Amino acid sequence: MKNTNLKFILIACLVLIASVKSYSQISKVEIIATGLTCSMCSNAINKQLKATVGVDSVSTDLNTNTFLVYFKKDSKVMPRVLKEGVEKAGFFIGSFVITMPVENLKAASDKTISLNGSTFILLNEGPNGSTGETKLKIYDKGYVTQKEYKKLLKMFSKVASYPLENEDDYHIKIII
Amino acid sequence: MRKLSIIFTLFLLQGLAAQELFVVTDPASNVPAGSLGIRLGQSIFKEQMKSGYSYHLMPEVTWGSNKNLMLRTSMFVSNRNSQLVTEGGSLYAKYRFFSTDDLNSHFRLAAFGRYSFNNADIHQETIEIMGHNTGFETGIVATKLIKKVAISSSVSFEKALDNKPNYPFPSTQGDHATNYSLSFGKLMYPKKYTNFKQTNINLMVEFIGQTINENGKSYLDAVPAIQFIIQSQARIDIAYRHELYSSMLRSAPNGIYLNLEYTFFNITK
Repeated sequence: MKNTNLKFILIACLVLIASVKSYSQISKVEIIATGLTCSMCSNAINKQLKATVGVDSVSTDLNTNTFLVYFKKDSKVMPRVLKEGVEKAGFFIGSFVITMPVENLKAASDKTISLNGSTFILLNEGPNGSTGETKLKIYDKGYVTQKEYKKLLKMFSKVASYPLENEDDYHIKIII
Repeated sequence: MRKLSIIFTLFLLQGLAAQELFVVTDPASNVPAGSLGIRLGQSIFKEQMKSGYSYHLMPEVTWGSNKNLMLRTSMFVSNRNSQLVTEGGSLYAKYRFFSTDDLNSHFRLAAFGRYSFNNADIHQETIEIMGHNTGFETGIVATKLIKKVAISSSVSFEKALDNKPNYPFPSTQGDHATNYSLSFGKLMYPKKYTNFKQTNINLMVEFIGQTINENGKSYLDAVPAIQFIIQSQARIDIAYRHELYSSMLRSAPNGIYLNLEYTFFNITK
């Protein structure tokens, strides 16, 4: 009886550890916003991103409209929430790059990665190393400029899930 | 007039206009969703048919309902009867239905509608539901932003109704009009941003026209303006409105605007 209890606790602990690990952390996101040149417009985006639950801080380069978003510990913010924030401010995203630890990018054989209920689909080869940080860029509609998306639709015509525009699927390329 | 054309030519030479937070017209872009803008608009116009000045005070509240819809309510106060009297109010909605953005540029289209009521006496042929007539207006606006320059143009239909309870719209005047506007704005300062606290300076010029549909009577005004954006959150506009041409009876076409505005971000979800 005692033995069963111990086993149960042990399994529970293992499951817990595994699940904690799978709630992996995005360390940083770099967003370039489009359609603006005034600092009041940038401020609208800045305030919107800062008000997002799970966001710790935002630093802004007003000349390039680049927003660096840092997250609170154990935050599970997914790209979609940040995209909606930028659009609520009245603008759009031109580039969206995620920085995260390589160990969280263990791709399954079909090149997909599950993360906090979302699916990341790799458009190129997986990461080279197994430690350190890696950067990945999202290529979905709403994460690149409208012009770029039109070109990408042709480029990725063989990727079945790409034109579906499913909000919780992210098509990514590892850039570093 | 000559000065105005020089200013306008300078704008053209610089590759065309500025930022799009215009003084008289509204661009196709909306205020951020969930934000609340409080504006205190004031204007002093010189009376043409009698001595003195007409003063109008126009407090406004603007709310970004969602990323495409903006709502605004305005109140009209004036000194026409020698003391400040609240004469009416207005409701305004604008819906952005098209937007194509690229790095540092955008092209947007929006449709808008406004309903105003006013109880003041009707003393001119010009139809102006912003502080003079009861009535409604509906139209579309297109705005193009290219780097530091914004160009915006609008066309609308405006219809005047009776200024109830005491002043029915004169049957001798045309009660509906076509309005058009062309606005240019340019960000002049800073050349390079360092932080949100920097004051931005925009120069603008707007051309505002109206034709009464029934009889073809028209006017065209030019409105040069300077605008200061303070701490990326507050706004001061100083503008001068000047009649370039008119074939209709207008009580006070020339004057000055002074608008103060403050935006509260993320007030509602």
